[in-house]
Amino acid sequence: MFSQEAGQSPRVKLIEALEVLQRPVKDNASQVKIFLAVGFMPLHLQTFLGAELRALFPEERIDIEVGVFGDLCGSVERLKPFEMDSIAVVVEWSDLDARLGVRSLGGWRPEHLTDIVESAARTKDRLERGLKALSERAPVVVCMPTLPLPPMFWTRPAQAGSAMLQLQLVVASLAESLSQSNGLRIVNSQLLNETSAPSERYDLKSDVMTGFPYCLRHASAVGKSLADLVRNPSPKKGLITDLDDTLWAGIVGEDGVDGISWDLNSHTHMHGLFQQVLASLAGAGILVAVASKNDPAIVDRAFERTDLLLTRASIFPLEIHWSRKSESVQRILKTWNVSADSVVFVDDNPMEIAEVKGAFPEMECILFPKNNYQGIWDLFKHLRVLFGKPCLTDEDTIRLHSVRESGAWRDIDLSSGSSSDDFLRASDASVVFDSTQSWGDLRAFELINKTNQFNLNGKRFTETAWRAFFSEPAAFLLTVSYKDKFGPLGKIAAIVGKAHGRTLCVNSWVMSCRAFSRRIEHQCLKYLFENFEVQEIAFDYEPTLRNGPLQTFFEELNGNTPTEGFTLSKGKFEANVPLLFHRVEGIVRV
Amino acid sequence: MSERDDRLVRCFASVFHGLTPDEIRSTSDESVGTWDSLTTVTLAALVQEEFNVEIDAEVLSRLDSFEAFRGYLADLHQDKE
Repeated sequence: MFSQEAGQSPRVKLIEALEVLQRPVKDNASQVKIFLAVGFMPLHLQTFLGAELRALFPEERIDIEVGVFGDLCGSVERLKPFEMDSIAVVVEWSDLDARLGVRSLGGWRPEHLTDIVESAARTKDRLERGLKALSERAPVVVCMPTLPLPPMFWTRPAQAGSAMLQLQLVVASLAESLSQSNGLRIVNSQLLNETSAPSERYDLKSDVMTGFPYCLRHASAVGKSLADLVRNPSPKKGLITDLDDTLWAGIVGEDGVDGISWDLNSHTHMHGLFQQVLASLAGAGILVAVASKNDPAIVDRAFERTDLLLTRASIFPLEIHWSRKSESVQRILKTWNVSADSVVFVDDNPMEIAEVKGAFPEMECILFPKNNYQGIWDLFKHLRVLFGKPCLTDEDTIRLHSVRESGAWRDIDLSSGSSSDDFLRASDASVVFDSTQSWGDLRAFELINKTNQFNLNGKRFTETAWRAFFSEPAAFLLTVSYKDKFGPLGKIAAIVGKAHGRTLCVNSWVMSCRAFSRRIEHQCLKYLFENFEVQEIAFDYEPTLRNGPLQTFFEELNGNTPTEGFTLSKGKFEANVPLLFHRVEGIVRV
Repeated sequence: MSERDDRLVRCFASVFHGLTPDEIRSTSDESVGTWDSLTTVTLAALVQEEFNVEIDAEVLSRLDSFEAFRGYLADLHQDKE
């Protein structure tokens, strides 16, 4: 029913994977360099990983390097991560101690078990150090052991003995510790289990004969999981839901406020779970809105029910009227200031789905499968695919608030007339500039890779390129946080550039659309001129289809349409900058 | 040529990029410089998957040409009949 990520689509056969790898790429295709660190022979896993990556990056040339057979820790420790776009690591039990595999005859006697566990724990510590160090330089994805432990324990297979549990604890501890690090992503073993049955993963004959321990089906599944984590797609930004027979069961206009339900007794529990999922998404910074053909007064009363799991405070805006759903969606998109392709629409009525899809072909429109338990469960999982993110930032917790408050700004005349000056002066705004030479600000990385409208050139950074940029001494990152009497917007802008003496070059400059109309962009330039003590700033500017707001900003400052790579003098800036009312604070991190 | 031969040619073509079907039918570890032990392992895995057969470990070292794979499959097919 839904498009799926790792593990849930039909598995790729080896011949298909090899044929995908033979597809020609353009001569000028950029290269994606991946290091595959495994302790076993990489063989078909390398093939499947390469094919999955080719499918995900069809315009790129995929180059996979592999480590040394039988030495996972050594491969990790010797690797030069700056040369790689991503590092994929597959840990198996035999990497923790060779006696946990079949290619070693080191002994499985009961008295060996304590030493095996201790040895595995030591290797775990070594791997943990190595992987965390690597992740400082390049994104690392890790698949923890997927194969069954060998029949080496003195308990019956039905009984989990102490040694086995200690080994599982070692692995769980490693995974949990790694998952805390930025730049390290762990393959979800639960998802892997869904298409690669644990009992059908191990190929003993292949392991003994060639050193490759996986059945082809399992190699395909692991390759897909790794590739999916390497890709790390940007999540969708918002979800628009219907109310009747979707957020709750029943038609509130007919059944009344007390007649709608989402509980076990009414056999409408799945709607309660849907509310719970939406509340979870909202808590993670996903925007949630309602588009419903209904009587606003009745809906108001429905939202007064205290047993709703998705409260009204978590929803913005609510479009409740009898007009077409596509009109509601249009208004919601304008309020959020996001594009249709970053939003999901959910409704139980196929006609509404068709109408909205017709108006917004780029939007994912999902029919809510009411009365279909498994269908709703699959919907929940699909929403996690669409909205899942590698980590939560402070901005995720305040996004809804700032979008809601941005309504106060929306109608201000931008032409620096006295009325907007008065409004800005009274807004009690403060701007904090945070300067660093480190790559570690994931919010800045996220902003640069997802902002379209106020974006200097539309250029994106890969995770490795991001880290590599800051290896140059002249590189700097300036992030901008903002708050006013309406509340904080959090970190809303990022400027990346290089400062060589009296020359300042800005390579990337983005600002969230939530921060428009506040003259923050002017304050950014003022800060750059003053703090870098330069008379001129060179911008790596390029027009894109979507960076119109930035083009307009430069036109107003410069007096003419900016050209690629244009420069702005301090004199011209000072002649054209409107009044600025922010309190400014600067933080410099060494 | 039989349908089984065509499928075997496809298996080889996925490993030996750029060879024509005729060239593939005369392929051996001596005629193709890049054919090494890992190539044999890959070809064996492809054939096992494509033809749903299990190749005996002791036979693997003798599967050093297209003709050897073709003969091996023919023998298996005959046994099944």
